[in-house]
Amino acid sequence: MLQLWKTLRGSQLAPAVRAFSALSATSAPGKVDVEPIPASELDKLYSKLEIELRGVDPAVLKSYTWFANTAAGHLGIETGKCWAPRKAHHDRLTLLKSVHIYKKHRAQYEVRTYFYYLTYHKLTGSTMDTFLEYIERNLPEGVALQASKTELQQIPEHLSKPPEQV
Amino acid sequence: MSANLTRWLERSLHNCHATQSRTALRLFSGQQQQQQQQQQEVEEDEEFRVLNLRAVKKQVAARREIKRDPVPPPRSNRMAVDQDWTAAWPGPRSFHPASVPLPLRQGYTERGAAAPSKFANAELMKIPNFLHLTPPAIRQQCEAIKQFCTPWPKGLETEEKCKHHFPVEVVTTDFCHSLPTIRNPEARRVTVSLKLSELKFDAHAKDKFLRLVGERYNQETDVLTIVADRCPMRKQNYDYALYLLTACYHESFITEPWEETKSEADMEVYHFERNKAKLSAEAILNWNEAAGETKVAPSQGYAKSVEQLINEGENEYNIAKYKKEVLKMLNIPVAN
Amino acid sequence: MNFLKKLAPQMVAVAEAQTCSKSAIHTSAVCCRVQSGRYRITTKRNRPLTYEMANPPHYIGHRKSWNSWNTSTIKDGLRPSQTAIEDVFLRKFMTGTWHAMICSEVIIKRQHNTIRIAAIIRQAISARKMYFLIGYTEELLSYWMQCPVTLELQTVADKKDVVFKYI
Repeated sequence: MLQLWKTLRGSQLAPAVRAFSALSATSAPGKVDVEPIPASELDKLYSKLEIELRGVDPAVLKSYTWFANTAAGHLGIETGKCWAPRKAHHDRLTLLKSVHIYKKHRAQYEVRTYFYYLTYHKLTGSTMDTFLEYIERNLPEGVALQASKTELQQIPEHLSKPPEQV
Repeated sequence: MSANLTRWLERSLHNCHATQSRTALRLFSGQQQQQQQQQQEVEEDEEFRVLNLRAVKKQVAARREIKRDPVPPPRSNRMAVDQDWTAAWPGPRSFHPASVPLPLRQGYTERGAAAPSKFANAELMKIPNFLHLTPPAIRQQCEAIKQFCTPWPKGLETEEKCKHHFPVEVVTTDFCHSLPTIRNPEARRVTVSLKLSELKFDAHAKDKFLRLVGERYNQETDVLTIVADRCPMRKQNYDYALYLLTACYHESFITEPWEETKSEADMEVYHFERNKAKLSAEAILNWNEAAGETKVAPSQGYAKSVEQLINEGENEYNIAKYKKEVLKMLNIPVAN
Repeated sequence: MNFLKKLAPQMVAVAEAQTCSKSAIHTSAVCCRVQSGRYRITTKRNRPLTYEMANPPHYIGHRKSWNSWNTSTIKDGLRPSQTAIEDVFLRKFMTGTWHAMICSEVIIKRQHNTIRIAAIIRQAISARKMYFLIGYTEELLSYWMQCPVTLELQTVADKKDVVFKYI
């Protein structure tokens, strides 16, 4: 019943969505073609993108890693090392099993955090933004992502030669 | 309840009328007859009356049948085999058995029993699924977003070329958590690293620069790393890191007046030129020479061996080299 | 003055006793551990258990998985306490709003800033009322949590559909 309603609702919404998408589709290419890129706004260069994933379930992390690597393959991004530490991080909490005394009997609780590391090389600024946004949007629940970007820059002009007057 | 009450009221009324008619005889005869007849009927009807203090429900009202709408069969039964799955499951969503035409089972059971099926299975709803990220879906989406990507420029294929053209590396970190806020205090940190050989120095400036940056310079890899995290925003930290680099670089070319007063005790390495060893060697070489004649300076090899001996410490190699240089300087033929 | 001086050591003793009694307060986590999440066998063997109830808490991650999915519990997670309190509130609100209709645990998944709540619901009320309740829950919760809340419900015809075994 719910399903039926949802499909109904979907079909009602569909024309509007399609119209909107058509609109954006017609306007987008023209925009891209016409708009000149200002010379001052050069694309950034990133030599390396390191992604650290943290999660409670290693299987979810593995699936997500597969997804990210597949997406990188489709987008033509060079994939580097992809690895996981052999052991998870265990956050342990030891308490007395009893309420009051009996110190010999304890209960131990633990929270495990699994890690996964992905590396990608040689991304331009626009590729980086596209790729990162795509994989971040599809991040499953219960997984935290941390992306370290190594940007390449030229030496600033005022540092390229020794100062003349000091 | 109400029916009982009315009947009881009627009865009491009848009794009342009867007593009145017997005693007062004020009523019309027709009426009296009628009443007596009624009273007889009543007595015949309820000869053994039951005193019912607690009213018992006579009739339980029939429960209204709850009309339920017929539940349609699962949608997955009507799905075509070659349907477009990306349209059926477009986004992240908890598992729903009626939408997934797969005979899934999940759960631990005792040996021999089948695992619980996909219907009414909470375990399948809990685990994050990737049903919206099937390989065709990924390909489709990647093809759509590929127009925003740009290729890596030519001429920067290897790391050496990258390093040559772009020596400065800036490392920033983004965080993605499942929180109502997108701010993360750790994201403000900016690391700027640079190979020191890319900057041009003179001897004094280099010495002063290394003293200014201190621990941030790694002797072994020749890399200067500046970590800035004192400002709240990433942009501010980046600007601050570049400011630090610039300020240190320019400051290192300034020679302060007090720098001239640097004594021998302040020197961090032994310099042959500024020490007694040079004077002694010159004195030996210029023995008995007149004042006007040109002085003979000790050779470069000797100076180097002395510096090595004192800076690196006394070891076999250094001592042997020192001996060789001394013998050479004094023109003493080697014995063996 | 003398009287006060005499009294002083006693006062100190009382104060010490009070500070000692403070540390004797225990939390319910320790108190209930041995019983929590575990069910006793009845003599008639007629207590219905769902799959979730049939597996005690130490099987979490092995036979059954978590009911709350968020990044606050993992290492260096931000605002763990607020997330826990919010989850308790969400569960209470759900069980109260869908009164006597939730057959399973309430599963709360947090993805970016959205909250997705999944549950198995009994088909006890008409579909119309259900849509109303879905909208009502989503609207109120998204107002309180200040983020989009989505309900992802699965319905079963009878409560017995979710029963895994009887003990």
